[in-house]
Amino acid sequence: MADRFPGYDVLDKRDTPSWNQVTRDVIERRLATPRGPRFFAAQEWQTLEALCGRILPQPPDRPAVSIAALIDAKLLAGGTQGFSIGALPHDREAWKIGLAALDAEALAAHGNGFHQLAADRQDALLARAQRGELAGAAWRGMPSDLFFSKRVLGDIPAAYYAHPTAWNEIGFGGPASPRGYVRMALDRRDPWEAAEAARGHEAEARRKNRRVGR
Amino acid sequence: MRIADRRKTDITVQGARRLNLAAGMLAASVLADSGVEHYRGSFHNKAMFTPLVSSALALAVSAHGLADHRRGSHAFRDTVYAPAGLIGLIGTGFHLYNVAKKPGGFPWLSLFYSAPIGAPAALSLAGLMGFLAERVRGAAPGKPPRVGGVAAGRVVAAATSAGILGTFGEVALLHFRGAYHNPFMFAPVSAPPLAAALLAGAALSPGRTSRPVTRWWLRLTTALGFAGVGFHAWGVSRGMGGWRNWSQNVLNGPPLPAPPAFAALALAGLAALTLMEAFADG
Repeated sequence: MADRFPGYDVLDKRDTPSWNQVTRDVIERRLATPRGPRFFAAQEWQTLEALCGRILPQPPDRPAVSIAALIDAKLLAGGTQGFSIGALPHDREAWKIGLAALDAEALAAHGNGFHQLAADRQDALLARAQRGELAGAAWRGMPSDLFFSKRVLGDIPAAYYAHPTAWNEIGFGGPASPRGYVRMALDRRDPWEAAEAARGHEAEARRKNRRVGR
Repeated sequence: MRIADRRKTDITVQGARRLNLAAGMLAASVLADSGVEHYRGSFHNKAMFTPLVSSALALAVSAHGLADHRRGSHAFRDTVYAPAGLIGLIGTGFHLYNVAKKPGGFPWLSLFYSAPIGAPAALSLAGLMGFLAERVRGAAPGKPPRVGGVAAGRVVAAATSAGILGTFGEVALLHFRGAYHNPFMFAPVSAPPLAAALLAGAALSPGRTSRPVTRWWLRLTTALGFAGVGFHAWGVSRGMGGWRNWSQNVLNGPPLPAPPAFAALALAGLAALTLMEAFADG
């Protein structure tokens, strides 16, 4: 897919009035998230990485965002999305059960762990989870469809789109703290906003995006 | 020339220069305000450059007029002032169109957040004050200056009164939008209407030679106009990020160049009083 916001890097706003020290600290901590399991066990981590690869495949031409690391860090800190689903255990437990159960279902169906399956087999298994058709003992009574819709589809995109690399991809301005936006009308742009490239006008957008950090 | 005539000529020129000053202050206010606000509007319509050009020219000829101690109107100043008055009217039309084309016609939201309807009128007032300055200055030596057959002092007083009332309307709308969250926001909707009423009274009773209350009230209104810049600067500093975040807060905060419009009009009112007192007989 062509770059819709050529030359845009949200981190260029770091030292502008758009961000204050609190914002800079939060983003720095997020970027420094260790890329390895701390909350999860090694096997759960492998399953989670494979799962994230199916839910949010990333372009091969740039370093991938470690979604698994962001989810791991959040659960390690005890964080949640801020609300709980009655039929699901707490986020930490739900994730551990769900990953172990997906792995167990893969082993039962194909004799291999989830991360070792071919992509189409992983997808087929996830589709069954989405329909609530997986109910092996490893699920410990947790509905697989709820795990899929609330944890998998809730937490993975939330983690991915919390990362500046994802913001660059969609032209998101990052935290508006303290500087927000002034030109609110449709199709108007503040000089510190990402410029979207119209077809054939990529150079113009690139020039505007270079100025975002000034 | 008799000494009394010479004195009256001095008063005429002085009155004209004060009106040049008022016109210049209004033009400066319009230049800064439309510059900031139209930059915010990204000069989406190329016509949005017009008030910048017109007010810059009006500011320049007003400075020229203020420095000019000679009698007689000035052709170039006139050719700047008259179009400024007209451009202000056209601008009002543009702003009305901008509000009217928003879905829903004229609800409060559009009045609050679209192009401000009252703003271009300030350019008209600058042009009008400048035009009146040239008429006052153009009076024959020793003769009372007249505009359209009426004593110029009365005309200036009436025009100033109307200008203050219009500005009051704009301030009332925008300070209402600001929910009068600071009690000082009531000041510019309290003092100026009274100043307008006093000036209207003066315009209607030209015979009197001394109006100390009106004079002092206009001085108060002048001070208020300058103090308003300070209050608005304080308002900008209260936005998140304060003055360091000026690129958002100057645009989103209270307009810094707006309050001096009251000061300019009050100064024009004072000039009107001086003219009326000097030419009470005519």
